[in-house]
Amino acid sequence: MTIAASGKAEIYALARQRSRIRERLSAWLLMLPALVIVLVFFGIPTVYMVRMSFNLHIDRRLYVPGFTFEHYANLFSNPLFTNAIWTTVQLSLLSALFTVLIGYGFALLVWLKPARWRMLFVGLALCPLLISEISIIFGWWMFFPKNGLLSYALVSSGLITDKISLMYTEFAAFVGLVYVTLPYCFFILLSIFDGIDKRVLEASADLGAPPSITFREVLLPLTRSGALVAFSQSFIWAMGTYATPSALGPDTLWTMGYLIQEQMLGKHNWPMAAALSVVLVIGVTCVMVMTRMLMAKRVAFHD
Amino acid sequence: MTEAVQEPEFTTRSIEPSLLQALSLAFTVFIVAYILIPILVTLVMSFNDAAMIRFPISTWSLRWYHDFFGSPQWTDALKNSIIIALGTTIVSTTSGVLAAWAFERFYIPLKDFWYLLILLPLFMPGVVLGLGVAISFGGLSIGSYSIYGTRELVIIAHSLWAMPLVFMLMEATFRTIDHRIIEASYDLGGRPVQTFLEIVVPMVSTGIISSALFAFVISLNEFVMALFLTDRDTQTLPVLMWLSLRSAGTPRLAVASVILAGAVFACLTLIVLWYVRVLRRTMR
Repeated sequence: MTIAASGKAEIYALARQRSRIRERLSAWLLMLPALVIVLVFFGIPTVYMVRMSFNLHIDRRLYVPGFTFEHYANLFSNPLFTNAIWTTVQLSLLSALFTVLIGYGFALLVWLKPARWRMLFVGLALCPLLISEISIIFGWWMFFPKNGLLSYALVSSGLITDKISLMYTEFAAFVGLVYVTLPYCFFILLSIFDGIDKRVLEASADLGAPPSITFREVLLPLTRSGALVAFSQSFIWAMGTYATPSALGPDTLWTMGYLIQEQMLGKHNWPMAAALSVVLVIGVTCVMVMTRMLMAKRVAFHD
Repeated sequence: MTEAVQEPEFTTRSIEPSLLQALSLAFTVFIVAYILIPILVTLVMSFNDAAMIRFPISTWSLRWYHDFFGSPQWTDALKNSIIIALGTTIVSTTSGVLAAWAFERFYIPLKDFWYLLILLPLFMPGVVLGLGVAISFGGLSIGSYSIYGTRELVIIAHSLWAMPLVFMLMEATFRTIDHRIIEASYDLGGRPVQTFLEIVVPMVSTGIISSALFAFVISLNEFVMALFLTDRDTQTLPVLMWLSLRSAGTPRLAVASVILAGAVFACLTLIVLWYVRVLRRTMR
């Protein structure tokens, strides 16, 4: 009797264990395609890119296996590259700042407006997100030059007498860059605003605060960390977006992304392109980690 | 839902003096103009008759539309774009949905780590992803068949952005389903695969359709990775547009933009129609 009972329990335990193994197995099987994509086509290229950045570049060949810090040294000493890094950071910071300012105003507007306007504005904000970057570039490309719409509109309205061209200026690059990063920022900020109870505005007004005080004392503290996330997100996007500034900006506006393309496809210097990419990725990662840390600190502070 | 939001309307009005109202009006005009300018300029220019990009436009015609569809180079690029976008949709939707289901249904050790790993490519600049894939797989060939320049490689590269997005959307969608229904299906003798296909998939169909269409749109619009990974025969429409913008811009580019945007908005309409259909069915 007892032997049979313990045998039965053993069989049950075995069956349970087997089904647990089968469950584990099916979980990994289901994840397999996604993991293959990430590990093989993202993991391997990342590792290989880091390795590539230490290879030699001699005799105009794509690369020669070897080990050198030459490209990194070059990156931080050659004015061509240091300027590019500086330009990229500057342009990204400035465009992220304006993106947040415009995006903040836009999100605030949509939040305050009656709900019937909401769908319209959200649809509008989706436009830059759904349109290919190349189409956006081309749209501005037709707006800024001498024979473009801007110059025509200004001349025909009598504001200026001679045609003007803003094409290939830093301003054009900046306008295009903000346009590309604006929707991400807007949706982050709108979700932050949606989490605020609108009655706080009413309460503040009832206590006699004019709108400016309400904004400074009530809205701003509630949205500060959201604006910070939006800022870092815009900054990261601006760092990675190189086609817009390089197509709309002056020829001398060399960003890191543009130099990566130039080194890779134009100069066929793979190690240099890889080294530039590594630095770009490290920069982006640093910003992401820093934002995370700031966020964590704020949360801890509020607790 | 939306009705509830309408209620505080009067409060916001009451704290908005006329100066603020003027300011908000000015800002509204600014933002609407800012977003619409490049779109409208492109739309208008595509119906231009002249060979030059020049305002004002004197004569209107469909000349450049005829030109676009008469040019094998441009129609081939459009065909490549659509094939690559469809491929990306299939690859990223399948892998993303399955992985999200595994996350929802099973115990996975180090879940946070895998979650972050799957989402990581989404935060990488396209130029870096394109470069990495190009230098790692560009020189590789299977037998005499070189991988570089194939549509398959571009599909995989685009999936690096599309798959994490599908995964993220579907992971959130799967969380909303009622687990008792799945338990009921198991109790009634449904096998896991059968339960997934016949019970779970119909429940989350809206999520699957939306994420698939987003994957399609991402791939259709992307051109930095495609620039690094395609050759003359497989180049996509955005790549061809980028290359010809560098040489000379013609109204043909405006037509290409309109066609790309048209495809994207067709997708968006599909999502909305599907959503309305589902809503109607649940309302009944």
